[in-house]
Amino acid sequence: MTTIAPDRESVLVRAPGPHELHPVRTHRRRRALELSLAVAVPLALILLWQLAAAQAWIDDRVYPAPSTILADGWDRAAAGDLWPDVWATLKRVLAGYAIGTGAGYALGLLMGSLSLVRAALEPLLDALYVVPKLALLPVFLNMFGLGEGPQVALVATTVFFFVWISTMSAVMSIPSGHRDAGQVFGASPWQMFRHVLLPASLPSVLVGARIAAGVAVLVIVASEQIAATNGLGHLIFDSRALFQNDVMFVGIVCVAVLGVLFSELVRVAGRLLTPWAPRDRGRGQS
Amino acid sequence: MRIGLFRFMRIGLFRSYGVAVVVAALLASAGCSASPSSRSEPQADAASRTVRPVRGCGEASWTDPADMSPKRQPARCEPGAPAPRRLPETRKLTIATGTLSAEYVAPLQVAIDKGEFEREGLDVTLRVLPTPDALPLLARGEIDALWAAPEAAVMNGLRGGFDIKWVAGNFSPDPASKSGLWVRLKDGESADRVTMAGRTLGTMIGKGSVIAYPMEQALERHGGGLDKIQYQQLGSADVLTALQNGGVDSAWLLDPVWRTVDGTPGYAFLGGQPPGEPLGGLLYGPSLLNDDMDAGVALIRAYIRTVNSYFASDYKKDASFVTYLANLLKADESTLKSTPPLRMDWEIRAGTTDRLQSAYAAQGVAEGDLLPESQTVNRALYEEAVGHRP
Repeated sequence: MTTIAPDRESVLVRAPGPHELHPVRTHRRRRALELSLAVAVPLALILLWQLAAAQAWIDDRVYPAPSTILADGWDRAAAGDLWPDVWATLKRVLAGYAIGTGAGYALGLLMGSLSLVRAALEPLLDALYVVPKLALLPVFLNMFGLGEGPQVALVATTVFFFVWISTMSAVMSIPSGHRDAGQVFGASPWQMFRHVLLPASLPSVLVGARIAAGVAVLVIVASEQIAATNGLGHLIFDSRALFQNDVMFVGIVCVAVLGVLFSELVRVAGRLLTPWAPRDRGRGQS
Repeated sequence: MRIGLFRFMRIGLFRSYGVAVVVAALLASAGCSASPSSRSEPQADAASRTVRPVRGCGEASWTDPADMSPKRQPARCEPGAPAPRRLPETRKLTIATGTLSAEYVAPLQVAIDKGEFEREGLDVTLRVLPTPDALPLLARGEIDALWAAPEAAVMNGLRGGFDIKWVAGNFSPDPASKSGLWVRLKDGESADRVTMAGRTLGTMIGKGSVIAYPMEQALERHGGGLDKIQYQQLGSADVLTALQNGGVDSAWLLDPVWRTVDGTPGYAFLGGQPPGEPLGGLLYGPSLLNDDMDAGVALIRAYIRTVNSYFASDYKKDASFVTYLANLLKADESTLKSTPPLRMDWEIRAGTTDRLQSAYAAQGVAEGDLLPESQTVNRALYEEAVGHRP
């Protein structure tokens, strides 16, 4: 038996990096950099936009300067012209979101738990899932008339599919050992739901719900263009038709803010509801 | 090998800013392509142009814009007049229109088909574009004319500094037409005794359309007003259905939809577009208003000649012409036959844009003060085409 001594000169020596030497300080710097980028990039683009409008590189009648949009938005908000549209959109989103989430979660739970129900409904729901939801608006108009019904139904349908799929897959992926443990302890159906299915599936369900929050805002804006007399979508497309581009951009900014706030609200609610789940710290964070 | 964290951070930073720079460059380049060339000052003075008498266009070829009589006969020249005056070089022109199949587009379609534009040395292309999309292109000279109407969007564009003017009319309705405001009568109501305040109105035409003006007139005659009713914008197929099933109390019905309820008990016609007053037509941007006014006059001359040659009176009496129109417009022949002919009229009445702007203000879609007619209308081009000296 021969022993070969390692050649000292061929050994790769790795010096510890700053994240190993000063982990807290490095992490803090990294976070500061990420935050700076998150603020600086949009700010730089807005400043560039402002400069382009001021220097007439772009036609500010078609693309109003950010300062014009901000001033117009402020005036509209102060005069109370903006809030009815914001409130109308918010009401539709919240109502549709609540109905869609509830229905999607209930059916996802049922289909994830009972294979016969899954066999009966999955092909049909899969087929409906791929239908562009906006294409259902005429159907909802016929069903619910001209009021709030079609808008709420459209949001509810959109949200339903996201929550249904994520719930069903979350329930199906619960390890069988968890269910077996529940059965061994003699858990009733309610106890099985409360102590096994709910905690195991909720983190995945909330991811679906968060995606659905953004899509709900997207759908309602498109829908309000077609069949509503108020709301942010109506404001955007109405002002576009009237060539009031500053108002149109105010509407677009409001929709963006509403979408971000609603999505963040669902994320925060998810964190509070599922403290056991891996912590979701939002976008672009390491 | 040692890769430091700060080098990694620098790479990350450069990547992030690289993306930002690319986006910024794209934004800037998009902006540069949208350079506001439309803010140029007029280069030609319309008043300095020589207006010569035109053979075939006599006294009847011009009417006083102040003549608002509903019985006024629209201006006419002899068929084939005014004769073409070919431009020295062929000029390519693009005209935007909201549709290619509507009857009011027929004069342009016929002019292309019969070679009337070609005789003037014009190579005309029609492009389907909604007015809000067409406005910036018209103001930048990327399209030359717009076959539409001085809608609220146009007025807002003018207020923003766009160099656009309404230069020729299109049509007014036949007195027999009942395209307009229809109401479902309640118990005890008749066409003479209907109160419109507080009622819902279904329309496929959005706010800020020129229809606001006749709508306001019809509503005011019946105790209503644009600010006293509730709009419900609907698809073209849904307006009549909504009126019939009670979804809306009243509706603005277009040709030929109104025929469905005409004569049906329980429905009343309250009014439509004023007779003898065109509310739309040709709008020119700086390319034809200032840069190449000869081409602007040539385009209008060809249009006027087409009207005189093919649309001078009741063009629907000739069944073969209706068939020809239906094929040209790709429209349903029976629909064309079922409605009265349009009264093609290239002239613009005095004060129309004032009345339109008042209606937009009542609708709450106008910004700022009313624009005077001198900023919205230019009659000099059609007057030159028929040889009328102001």
